[in-house]
Amino acid sequence: MSTTAPPTRGNGTRSATQRLRVGGYALGAYLLRRLVITAVLLLGVTAVTFLLVQLVPGDSMTATLSEAALQDPEIVAAYRERWGLDEPLHVQYLVYLQNVLTGDLGVSQQTGRSVLGDLMTYVPATLEIALPAMLLSLLIGVAVGLYAAVRHGRAGDQVVRAGTLLGLSTPPFWLSLVVLYVFFFVLGVSPSGGRLSTYWVPPEQVTGVMSLDALLAGEPAMAWDAVQHAVLPVLVLTVLTVATLVRFVRSAMLEVLDQDYIRAARAKGLPGRTVLLSHVLRAGLVPVITVSGLAFAALLSGTVLVEQIFSWPGVGQYAYRAAAALDMPAILGVSLFVAVVYTVVNLIVDLLYGLIDPRIRLS
Amino acid sequence: MGVRPARVGAAVAAAAALTLTACTAGGSGGGAAGGGGSDDESPGQGGTLTVSTSFVVNSLDPGQVYEATGALAVHAMYDTLVTFEGSDVTTPVPLLAESWEVNEDATEFTFTLTDGAVFSDGSPVTAEDVVFSINRLHNLQGSPAVTVEGLAASSPSEGVVVVTSEQSNPNVPTILAMPAAGILNAEATEAEGGTAAEDAASADAATEFLNGASLGSGPYVLDSFDPASEIVLTANPEYWGETPGYQRIVISNVEAETQKLTMQRAEGDQIALDLSGRLLEDLPESVQVSASQDTFYFLTLHQDPAISEITSNPDFVRALRASIDYDGLAALFGDDALPAAGMVPTAFPGALPESEAQQQDLDAAADHLEASGITDPTVELMYPAITYRGVDLGTIATKIQFDAEQAGIAIVLDPQPIASFLEAQTGGEVPFRFSPQSLNYPVAASLVNNFAPGQASAQRTGWTEERASEEIIAAGEAVQSAPDAESQISAIQDWQRLLNEESPYVTLAYNSGVVAATETIANAEYSPAGWQVDLRAVAPQ
Repeated sequence: MSTTAPPTRGNGTRSATQRLRVGGYALGAYLLRRLVITAVLLLGVTAVTFLLVQLVPGDSMTATLSEAALQDPEIVAAYRERWGLDEPLHVQYLVYLQNVLTGDLGVSQQTGRSVLGDLMTYVPATLEIALPAMLLSLLIGVAVGLYAAVRHGRAGDQVVRAGTLLGLSTPPFWLSLVVLYVFFFVLGVSPSGGRLSTYWVPPEQVTGVMSLDALLAGEPAMAWDAVQHAVLPVLVLTVLTVATLVRFVRSAMLEVLDQDYIRAARAKGLPGRTVLLSHVLRAGLVPVITVSGLAFAALLSGTVLVEQIFSWPGVGQYAYRAAAALDMPAILGVSLFVAVVYTVVNLIVDLLYGLIDPRIRLS
Repeated sequence: MGVRPARVGAAVAAAAALTLTACTAGGSGGGAAGGGGSDDESPGQGGTLTVSTSFVVNSLDPGQVYEATGALAVHAMYDTLVTFEGSDVTTPVPLLAESWEVNEDATEFTFTLTDGAVFSDGSPVTAEDVVFSINRLHNLQGSPAVTVEGLAASSPSEGVVVVTSEQSNPNVPTILAMPAAGILNAEATEAEGGTAAEDAASADAATEFLNGASLGSGPYVLDSFDPASEIVLTANPEYWGETPGYQRIVISNVEAETQKLTMQRAEGDQIALDLSGRLLEDLPESVQVSASQDTFYFLTLHQDPAISEITSNPDFVRALRASIDYDGLAALFGDDALPAAGMVPTAFPGALPESEAQQQDLDAAADHLEASGITDPTVELMYPAITYRGVDLGTIATKIQFDAEQAGIAIVLDPQPIASFLEAQTGGEVPFRFSPQSLNYPVAASLVNNFAPGQASAQRTGWTEERASEEIIAAGEAVQSAPDAESQISAIQDWQRLLNEESPYVTLAYNSGVVAATETIANAEYSPAGWQVDLRAVAPQ
């Protein structure tokens, strides 16, 4: 994306759609172009992923069949035929692409279920902890980052910087175990893992988000239980994400605070709160949106270790299992999902730029 | 500056307080002790049993099941002709078969079915169902098909099943006790696309259905199956035997470290299956621990000089064998491990006595190395970079490296991802490797079928019959042709002693499978039969 800053006209009160115009391009045309680029990108992702999996020594057969079965030519032949591994590589890939175009992501060799069905099960589970973690991170990250920028160089700023350094250097695996130890084992105020206590019969999946589905099933107590199970993973993900956000917000705000127009605003006698919230915060949000988008995409696609420790059956755990077993359909499915997530998040970020900063145009 | 930092700080504090409030609100969490369950359940009183294990499962179709977690669940849902009780794997006991007879050369087994057994849909279990299930297992050509290689089932009359073996095999009842030999409702399976025909490998379409519902006659039925999360079993209301101990069993995918925390709190009806080695330390005294040494760890040295001049040298193998500190190595596995005497772990009949455990002898190692004619040997040791039963294999490999160095043998460690290791191992060209091994079914003779010269694993090691002595070939044949269990046990002990003299395998240590259970549970014994703990028998105290 590139930005231009055209001369200011009128009172600057055009609608967002009007702002998202340049050189005759309407928002619709822009989105269409992004869609085409996305399709090409996804095609590239499948090709690269397919090739990378081929380069790894071993295949799903060695990870799936027993050692004894691997010695039996009949069993090996039956497996290869069943999963299409007896076809040449280019045929395997073309068949896969053909199926993808019809919405069929194939069948996971590990779960024996459709990859699309698996993703529809596991993505909402990840969303259930990633979304609250992201919202909490934004809330805390912006507030603390702004605080640190305002207190630049003073004791409060130093404490925040030390805290973010600690957050960034804390291994997710270790932090997960520590909070489990403290809140579950020592204090006994939290469940040990999973999405629901085992004495509950899970509700019918409607949204895939356990707490919402429990509410829809008319089970508020079950919904509360589901919320309790989500608290620790959300806490860990928040700690891991907020550190990055605080550093970015702090840097962005420091840069804005040093601008002439901020000094001018202060010189005009505007109240400090007005300067901070109306001028500094808004101008500093653009880079924050970028990093927030990337952080959210990372949360959706990279929470493997946290999900492992908390026995949280999300897409990260699914990706880990798929990779360990060299489960090609599942690996490709997860890769496509991650690519889509990043593409959509980038698109939303680009659109938000235009909404937040009227000087920015999409081209 | 007009903004008070305290206000920003207050916002942060509020957000943090919100999080902590949510955290501490869950006072009743922690599994079955929590309360608040459905109306018809009372956790800890036969309501819900939680079994925590690190999942290794691909399928709950008996014809496809061979991994530990799958075997655990399938054993609870599907009856077999015979079974084992508790931790004993020496004597099969009747289940669907009330009795059986074997001919003189152990090639024909006649099973008489018990009356009154019914499937979960209420239909009776017939001989046709048994024949269908055994033949489907064979013809599906899935991972467990190798266990019934050479076996065929037929029904000469109502209520009678005859299983024939191409060669003498006194272990057929044991093989038929395995979860993979679980008996399916043939009619219902066929209705879901299942078949026992010879083309079942390509024609059978029932596996997907069987991953969502069970068609067996066991005490539990499948409620739901998520390979990444949990397997939920519910009591079979039609069960023809004793009422199952719990209304629900939830088998949860939980990391070993989290299992330990759960067992340390020891609340409710909980079982953990991955607390081996150091993870067993610091558990409350109330936690029951049952263990059995059913796994061995071993080194394999390729015998083809074209692959490695060093590892194929018999004197080098002897030098390496003498260089290992077996006691020190076993100590790394924890209290439930032992230095290996032979290839058969102590859980199984045929294990060599502890008094024959191998010993380090560095002087002998030096003599053997000198006899090999190899000076300053350096070999690469490939192993899977995994933690198995609570023990990091890298730690064990490092100890092997250190011990060998005392004898003048340099080892370069080559850890590999598990899939890559398996691929390389299957390729049969790895000069020197290290891995854990368990039995395909709980009979020591199954090792002979795999590790004797010319057999599958031996072939991958270049240990052909041409490269083996006549004596060790004859010893293996004596095991395979033994007409009864007693003579087979004696034969397999002789075979192991010869292995310790001249095979390409260096068996290092035995490690245990462990069941840890809260004090409210009865019959939570570890079974080396393949299903780890018998969920059919587990019940509230």
